[in-house]
Amino acid sequence: MTAIELHDINKEFGSGLSRVKVLNNVNFKANKGELVLVLGPSGSGKSTFLTITGGLQTATSGDVTLDQNNISKISKRDMENFRLNKIGFVLQAYNLVPYLTVKEQFKLVDKVKKSHNLDNEQLMTLLKTLEIDDLINKYPSELSGGQNQRVAIARALYTDPEIILADEPTASLDTGRVDEVGELLQSLAKQQNKAVVVVTHDLRLENYADRIYEIMDGSMTERVN
Amino acid sequence: MFLALKEIKHEKLRYSLIIAMIVLISYLIFVLTSLALGLANENTEAIDSWNVRSILLNKDSNISLGQSTITNEQADDINLTKKDAYVGSASVVAKSSGHSQISSTYLGLDKNQFIENNLKLSSGHKVRNDKQIVADEKFKDSGYKLGDKVKLDSSSGKFTIVGFTKNAKLNVAPVLYGTLSGWQTLKGMGSTMKASAVVSKNTKVDNSNSNLKTYSINTFIDKLPGYTAQNSTFTFMIAFLMIISLIVIAVFLYILTIQKLPNYAVLRAQGIPANVLVKTTIFQSIILVLAGLIIGTILTVLTALLIPTSVPMNFNFPMLSLVALGLIITSILGAIIPVRTILKVDPVTVIGG
Ligand SMILES: Nc1ncnc2c1ncn2[C@@H]1O[C@H](COP(=O)(O)OP(=O)(O)OP(=O)(O)O)[C@@H](O)[C@H]1O
Ligand SMILES: [Mg+2]
Repeated sequence: MTAIELHDINKEFGSGLSRVKVLNNVNFKANKGELVLVLGPSGSGKSTFLTITGGLQTATSGDVTLDQNNISKISKRDMENFRLNKIGFVLQAYNLVPYLTVKEQFKLVDKVKKSHNLDNEQLMTLLKTLEIDDLINKYPSELSGGQNQRVAIARALYTDPEIILADEPTASLDTGRVDEVGELLQSLAKQQNKAVVVVTHDLRLENYADRIYEIMDGSMTERVN
Repeated sequence: MFLALKEIKHEKLRYSLIIAMIVLISYLIFVLTSLALGLANENTEAIDSWNVRSILLNKDSNISLGQSTITNEQADDINLTKKDAYVGSASVVAKSSGHSQISSTYLGLDKNQFIENNLKLSSGHKVRNDKQIVADEKFKDSGYKLGDKVKLDSSSGKFTIVGFTKNAKLNVAPVLYGTLSGWQTLKGMGSTMKASAVVSKNTKVDNSNSNLKTYSINTFIDKLPGYTAQNSTFTFMIAFLMIISLIVIAVFLYILTIQKLPNYAVLRAQGIPANVLVKTTIFQSIILVLAGLIIGTILTVLTALLIPTSVPMNFNFPMLSLVALGLIITSILGAIIPVRTILKVDPVTVIGG
């Protein structure tokens, strides 16, 4: 079943002479139960693509459909709700609230989304898988870049979202950890029937992908094997 | 709430500084207000203690007790009730060997009328003859004791302090309560004069003499020398101080919120609803201001306890509550101004890459 569909998405920044076209007629599709990788070099438009997909910014033209909802047609508040309940975002940088400990990052989610979060046991399993279970009382500033990134992944998965959007989730991880994260994301897609989209320039993730798109200067093409 | 408290806990130094600033500002406003009220109170303490609503004075006195006289003849035209009382006022300088001189107001009373009857003493007894006086506690604070003999002018001989009373100041000068004939002696006008004025618990004194006129007690108080000028000076001072402090606090809270926008962007990207962030911001401001106000109040109370009694301080709780409320409201405003920015904060700004 189609979870995410982007149809003829264009995104321009600025106007007049300083106008830049960052996304150019992007068409994209991801199904439930699938891990889709979007590969591209720095500056190719990956983050822009992902944030438009997740409703964090709007496209200049085109339609984004998530779970049968055309998100350009729903209100800001509904989008917020949708994001809280259905989407797990792993942002490229600066993911965590600096004044909350790891444990509190999850507690905050409990405060605003009262149900359908992972239970304690599931959370501990997740933290163990990511090897951050002994860091729960630390603040983000006390963690390494890679640890921060893994907490951010756990944080995004905590709401048990149907759609997972991850921006460079492995940027500061060593190969062993990349494999763990790859396996984790893959199992979420396979065993829990989630739609997982990972944008990255990290080729190490290729093995885990069901399908791969390549993005270059704002143009997206699906790789055919 | 959760976010607000966690953030305060984590950023102890920053929030302590802001609370400290609010403490100092509220302390400054509280102390100044209390001092101003204390001074205002010293102008009217005696009158307030009588609980009167009007005063009958000589029409030509310019509503001044010291300038007013009522002759015996005029007094015949007054229909005195139980709620009226004569007051004979004379400015005197109290002198006694071994003590400092004190400029005071001698108030002669009729021992059968309500002021004298209702007079509450903190020690000693009421006057029993024309050479005895009951003095305001200011005298006690200055070292005078019961039984001390004081000269009030060069010709009238010595008066003996037989009692002390609290809250007896008129126009900042301590009051010496005596008798009407004691007053006549001090004034040196023989017995042709009855008194300076009649004060009344009624709104009007029944009087048919056209040279005498009833004034409301507020009119009279406003006409006390320096009273109105003093009060408007203080009112303006405190008002400006309030406005400026409120702006300062609002600006601080604004800056505080602006500094937090990157965090808000993360939270928004995670799907934390905007209204949670707005509530957090407002709640935080209220906590900060309340903490500041509570500490400020404690400091003010301590100051009042430690300050020498010669410096009058007066707490008017309704007034101070109003000041406190003003601080809370502005702090909320200060926190709300950036709400628009919070609502508009673009999660993409933090995503980077
Ligand atoms: N708000 C903006 N205003 C103007 N230009 C922007 C804006 N956001 C992104 N761009 C431009 O769009 C292009 C694509 O940016 P994007 O962040 O999507 O790249 P990316 O593929 O995620 O790169 P990286 O791998 O370095 O994260 C870049 O050239 C960038 O300068
Ligand atoms: Mg990027």
